[in-house]
Amino acid sequence: MIQFQFITAFLLVVLGIYAFLAKRNLLKLVLALDIIDSGIHLLLISLGYRIELNEIPTAPIYTGYETLKSPMVGPLPQALVLTSIVIGVCVLALAVALTINAYRHYGTLDVRALRRLRG
Amino acid sequence: MNGEMLSYLIIVPLFGAFSMPIVSLAGRRARGAWALLISGTTLAVGSALFYSVWKSGGVFLYTLGAKSPLGQGVNFPIRIVWEVDLFGAIMVLMVTLVSFLAVLYSLSYMKHDTGLDKYYTLIIILELGMLGIAITGDLFNFYVFLEIMSIASYALVAFRNDTWEGIEAGIKYMFVGSIASSLILLGIALLYGEYGTLTMGYLAVKLTQNPTVVGKVALALFIAGLLFKSGASPVHMWLTDAHPAAPSSISAMLSGLVIKIGGIYALTRILFSIYENSVNMKAVGWIIIIFACITLIVGNTMAVIQTDMKRLLAYSSVGQIGYILLGLGIGLAAYGSQTGEIALAGAIYHTFNHALMKALLFLIAGAVIHQLGTRNLNELSGLAKTMPKTTFTFLIGAAAIIGMPPLNGFASKWLIYESSAVFNPLLGAIAIIGTAFCTAAYIRVLYTFFGRPSERAMEAKDPEGTMLWPIIILTVAIIVMGLFPWQISDKVMIPAAKALENQMAYVSALLGGA
Repeated sequence: MIQFQFITAFLLVVLGIYAFLAKRNLLKLVLALDIIDSGIHLLLISLGYRIELNEIPTAPIYTGYETLKSPMVGPLPQALVLTSIVIGVCVLALAVALTINAYRHYGTLDVRALRRLRG
Repeated sequence: MNGEMLSYLIIVPLFGAFSMPIVSLAGRRARGAWALLISGTTLAVGSALFYSVWKSGGVFLYTLGAKSPLGQGVNFPIRIVWEVDLFGAIMVLMVTLVSFLAVLYSLSYMKHDTGLDKYYTLIIILELGMLGIAITGDLFNFYVFLEIMSIASYALVAFRNDTWEGIEAGIKYMFVGSIASSLILLGIALLYGEYGTLTMGYLAVKLTQNPTVVGKVALALFIAGLLFKSGASPVHMWLTDAHPAAPSSISAMLSGLVIKIGGIYALTRILFSIYENSVNMKAVGWIIIIFACITLIVGNTMAVIQTDMKRLLAYSSVGQIGYILLGLGIGLAAYGSQTGEIALAGAIYHTFNHALMKALLFLIAGAVIHQLGTRNLNELSGLAKTMPKTTFTFLIGAAAIIGMPPLNGFASKWLIYESSAVFNPLLGAIAIIGTAFCTAAYIRVLYTFFGRPSERAMEAKDPEGTMLWPIIILTVAIIVMGLFPWQISDKVMIPAAKALENQMAYVSALLGGA
């Protein structure tokens, strides 16, 4: 069986890196960061998904697990991704705040205008 | 071993940071006193932790939410653990000390800025994130603390958002830092997918039993991400923009602590405590040595031609990171021999020393900017007449960073020179050439300070009160540490390098001797 989720995760990361390198608009760069993060989140959450005995696994809810007897997806990756999404939102909020400030100072969102510091 | 103390290292700054907005309702003095109290308490806890780890010589373990890290009825760890050996304890001491002094300095340095409740909240969160990285024994926990630290430092670099410089540097820093964090997260995801655990000690066991290609790819991602974060040379551009743009107290923390904890310390911890027995240490060591040589040449030579004082100091930070990486790389490549151990001890020693020296130099730069309102070296001539204390402490700091014998930088640099010359004479020569450029850069600044006074410099005067004290404390620390170089190296730094190389102790503290 082809593992579509891994291919999608890989494509998302590559797409994000391409956008990060090719685009010149600050907001698009922020989005590129978010797409890379999404790709990694998809990879991480897919790691917990496994098909045992040809059964589709259920959500990792422990109450009633004894009577259900069907496989569960791994709970740990879900916790990790949830944490990581929260961190991602923090970075996103800060990035957009800085972008607004940059727009006020430079009057443009073009990243090429941010060249006053000499690297 | 019990590590109850470790929890206070996180609880105190966390409580202090988020109670800051409430406390600052009581006024400016209450806010400053609260920030000082919190960072002072953290310093006390950090010193106590360092002392007890040094005394016992073992590894302290703290399990979150249970008595033992092992799961019920199974013999592998399932919980988040914090684990501190002597190397981690040295880093904890370094972070708490420099953060406390930076807060003390901020009391008068930041007096004229607005939004100070947010400033103090962020500075204590920055300290919290660094302490978390220093004590954590769990990879995802490490990532969370890394992001706490990074987000706080992005915000602090752009703290003065009324100037274009802070904003531009903040944006650059944030994009580079986020990409690096993403690489690290990808590495963690790969390791989790392959081995099904995130605890560092247990990952080491699993990797030793079954080293796979995926593990090596994850290592490559870690090295790439953490070299980004530590400002190694091909990607040092963000550092030299971000560190000068921040307020000087923050520059001292960024240059003194953040690049070391978030870069060097994490890299060392991952390489030694996870990968020690499962990769070819010689090959990894040489990769790091190559980056180290580029970094130390580029950083030090670029420092010579800068006209901006803080930018010069930032480039010098890049150069010093090169020395630390060189020590680390030789420690890896000559793993198991005495040369490797000395190189590693030199790297740890220089990490600590450079934190003190660079914090001192940035705080002095802040004092100069505070007085003259410029950091252009051409306008700073003749400060020696009007700011004698500042000039004298700068002289001490510069001499220490160059590696003059009676000061603390000498011993650590000597350990690195000695081991690199034994390991490969060419590397020793490169290290010496780097120091020559470093000397040139600082002599240029001192030449300016002692030159003919300009009109601006005539009206300057030495900083007073809480701006002067941190500078004096750091100067005294540099001189005192310089008086006992070999004692410190034998009693603290060599045992720290041994503890770091001893992966068995790290793992068996986790698995309870199993």
